[in-house]
Amino acid sequence: MTREAAQSIEDVVKNIIVAELRVDRNQLGPETHLMKDLGADSLDALNIALRLEEAFRIKIPDDAIPKFLTVGDIVKGVNEHLAAR
Amino acid sequence: MGVGRDAVWPALVSGRSGIKRIEDFDTSNLKTNIAGVCTDFRPEEFFDERELARLDRVSQFAIAASQMAASEAGLENGLLDSYDAGVILGTGFGGQGSIEEFCGAFFGYNKARRSAIAIPKSMYNASSSNVAIRLKTRGPNITITTACSSGANAIGHAFHQIRYGHAERMIAGGVDAPVTPVVMDAWKEMRVLSTKNDPPERACKPFSANRDGFVLAEGAGVVVLEELSAAKARGAKIFAEVIGYGSTADAAHITYPDPEGEAQAILRAIKDAGVSPSEIDHISAHGTATKLNDASETEAIKRVFGDRAFEIPINSIKSMIGHSMGAAGAIEFIASVLAIADQVIPPTVNYEEKDPQCDLDYVTEGARRMNGHVALRTAISNSFGFGGNNAVLVARAYE
Repeated sequence: MTREAAQSIEDVVKNIIVAELRVDRNQLGPETHLMKDLGADSLDALNIALRLEEAFRIKIPDDAIPKFLTVGDIVKGVNEHLAAR
Repeated sequence: MGVGRDAVWPALVSGRSGIKRIEDFDTSNLKTNIAGVCTDFRPEEFFDERELARLDRVSQFAIAASQMAASEAGLENGLLDSYDAGVILGTGFGGQGSIEEFCGAFFGYNKARRSAIAIPKSMYNASSSNVAIRLKTRGPNITITTACSSGANAIGHAFHQIRYGHAERMIAGGVDAPVTPVVMDAWKEMRVLSTKNDPPERACKPFSANRDGFVLAEGAGVVVLEELSAAKARGAKIFAEVIGYGSTADAAHITYPDPEGEAQAILRAIKDAGVSPSEIDHISAHGTATKLNDASETEAIKRVFGDRAFEIPINSIKSMIGHSMGAAGAIEFIASVLAIADQVIPPTVNYEEKDPQCDLDYVTEGARRMNGHVALRTAISNSFGFGGNNAVLVARAYE
């Protein structure tokens, strides 16, 4: 994957988190924890997964969602799903 | 009408209508383009953006009204954070706006998006549960849905929770936000909405011969009920006592009212209160301004009170608020309590023509102020819902 493509995946992931959790984009780093740092709960996680599925046209399996804990986790997970497609 | 008792009650006493033109959606295919919409309600005063995304308008109403009631009762000090405090709310339509939005997302006819919170946002018990989450009440949490009598049944059941020792304090009332394109269209097809659109505030004419139906409204009415000795022990302000509740089913027709079922609900409430019909000083009527309801309710009142029916001041504040469905019974109960507390009965506005079927004293000439020698001590509030669900509450001055 090109550096540009990787950058754009991260951008889209951040856009989704900003829109769903109504947080400031500057708060988001790779280690930012959705629940501990941003106050997300399980319903937020489900909505973020739904938006990711729509944006990247992927199917996120049920057991992957609890592993999406940080921004970095999500970017990595999306990349893996895209690679496996 | 406004937000909070200080806005709504003086408006009712002064006979001001809250009915306005609908501006939130296209009404060009409807015969009615007016409703009672809570235009003064500013959700951002009660919720942040993230909370709002999770709360249907009906839950927003429920939380805001419950918080105002708890605050006025002096209960924002941890006294509700208890297994002895609960919530019972009535609603006819629940999260109707959200249901319509999510249906649109599913079928692809609007711009809404699919969502993982569709169920918790639109479920009927979302309002009462969200109130418990906000106020931390851990006791009984129940949602009652009996159409237009939901709010009255909710207060009646909350009264029972306290009477039978299941709770010390209850948040109780009714909430509804049904002014949506789908609901307006559905009522249109039942031909029960007033089409007297001009001017909006004159449309709803309860008990008047030229009435032509109800005006749909949204809103909430919430009270705090508290076990008397607990309220006295903490020096709470007591507006009135709930002393009786009666509930019946017509068991006849799904929409056509039966005066006998209504009369029996009144009789049972009065019996439950341990008073006699001769002690009832005021009736807050269901008074929807449909041809059928107002005639049937008048007949029911005559069956219970006989000749005395003509002496009891009866009002319908729906003439000003419109019909807020599951909220109506609670808002009208509150009005009957405030009538007792302030010794003034708000008028039935827009009364224009005598109807031989509706020949009682409907307080049509402006608010009725009690003048010392005739006190308003005991009042009943009638609520009759589709399904033949009748609920009547009795309130008495606390002395």
